[in-house]
Amino acid sequence: MQTFNYLRPAHLDELCQALQQPHAKIVAGGTDVLPQMHTGRLQPALLVDISRVSELEGIRIHNTQVEIGALTTFAAIQAHPTLRAAAPALTQAAQWVGAPMTRQRATLGGNLANASPAADAVPPLMIYNAEVTLTSAKGSRSLPLAQFLLGPGQTALQRGEFIQSVRFELPAEDLGSAFLKIGPRRGMTIAIVSAAAAVRLSPEGRLEQVRVAVGASAPTVIRCPQTENLLHGQLPSAELWQSAAQQIAVEISPIDDVRASRAYRRRAAGVLAVRALQAALSQAQEAAQARTV
Amino acid sequence: MKPIEITLTVNETTHTLITLPNRTLLDILREDLGLTGAKNGCESGECGACTVLMNGAAVNACLVLAGQADGCTVETIEGLSKSGQLHPIQQAFVDAGAVQCGFCIPGMVMASKALLDHNPQPQEEDIRQALAGNICRCTGYTKIIQAVQMAAEELRHD
Repeated sequence: MQTFNYLRPAHLDELCQALQQPHAKIVAGGTDVLPQMHTGRLQPALLVDISRVSELEGIRIHNTQVEIGALTTFAAIQAHPTLRAAAPALTQAAQWVGAPMTRQRATLGGNLANASPAADAVPPLMIYNAEVTLTSAKGSRSLPLAQFLLGPGQTALQRGEFIQSVRFELPAEDLGSAFLKIGPRRGMTIAIVSAAAAVRLSPEGRLEQVRVAVGASAPTVIRCPQTENLLHGQLPSAELWQSAAQQIAVEISPIDDVRASRAYRRRAAGVLAVRALQAALSQAQEAAQARTV
Repeated sequence: MKPIEITLTVNETTHTLITLPNRTLLDILREDLGLTGAKNGCESGECGACTVLMNGAAVNACLVLAGQADGCTVETIEGLSKSGQLHPIQQAFVDAGAVQCGFCIPGMVMASKALLDHNPQPQEEDIRQALAGNICRCTGYTKIIQAVQMAAEELRHD
């Protein structure tokens, strides 16, 4: 591996100070940064290792507010009982990140900072309307995820800033949600297409609070507002799902790449998003039944 | 690039080393400590040949910086056998005929140990999930999964 200067701050103030230096690259779990450094694709002059900044670690839940520190690993997210019960799309996405060894090291902050259109954590966080808190020596600011992710590998992070945490409102019990992903292999798969969906059922059995996010099908993960509008207030039916799949194919802008063709992605994104919606719906139905019992 | 001092405990022996920050835990194990069981395969976390346990969890040693291993407890394949006796997982790999060329096996065994330490009665699906990050180029997966099942049984009777 090439040479670099190395700093390992132990606290937030030391981290803010380290990031004042030019050309600082942050490393946390190393599962994205180190493969690129091994090949020489990434050659940072200064590597700031944040893995010891304990203030950035952990999942905190106050009332209905969830705050997940940037250093929290996917293994920790996957194992968290409250998230599993109330935000299962995020748990399911965490289960799909890399392989067990990856999940022990890979962090939520790294998944966001890497800004891959295929990032597993992003579709669920988008349907939970998550915000990202960015901190620097000057202070903190919060951005909706859609404003943080600007394009492949591009984020709103400015020089000196780092991701402190991700926050979202813990979904109500009657909101069903799910995440699905298509790839060639169970472990270490970069999504060809991914989708997260949330929905609740009105007392009359109509779809409400419909949220759909699709990954690896546009320069960033995107919400599909036209599909959400199309579904809102409707009674679920085979025809409705078919038109939803068609609407998703229109809303995304996939590309041809080594993993799949644009045409395949258009088709698969619609099918996958509808499956995610149906999984979210059956969960919402269970919640509705539990209420009436 | 300034050298750094790190202290880590590997297979119950504590080492303090002066090293460079651009070295990985795998470099330290193989080159400084002479523990060549963990293999350098892909250097990208795809193959799992470098799997070791760090603070009890399976990790890819090629993706852990030297500075990140500071203060950690590491267990490698060399630490498994006690007084000349193979560990039950190693013995099960031998008995099942799970070892072909052998390159992936240290990683397979350590990933299996991480599984069995936390889940002594895994279903086949749990084993497949636990080994999802370990590639066997000889494609001996069926025997490898049988070996983990045999090891789980043996460990339960211990």
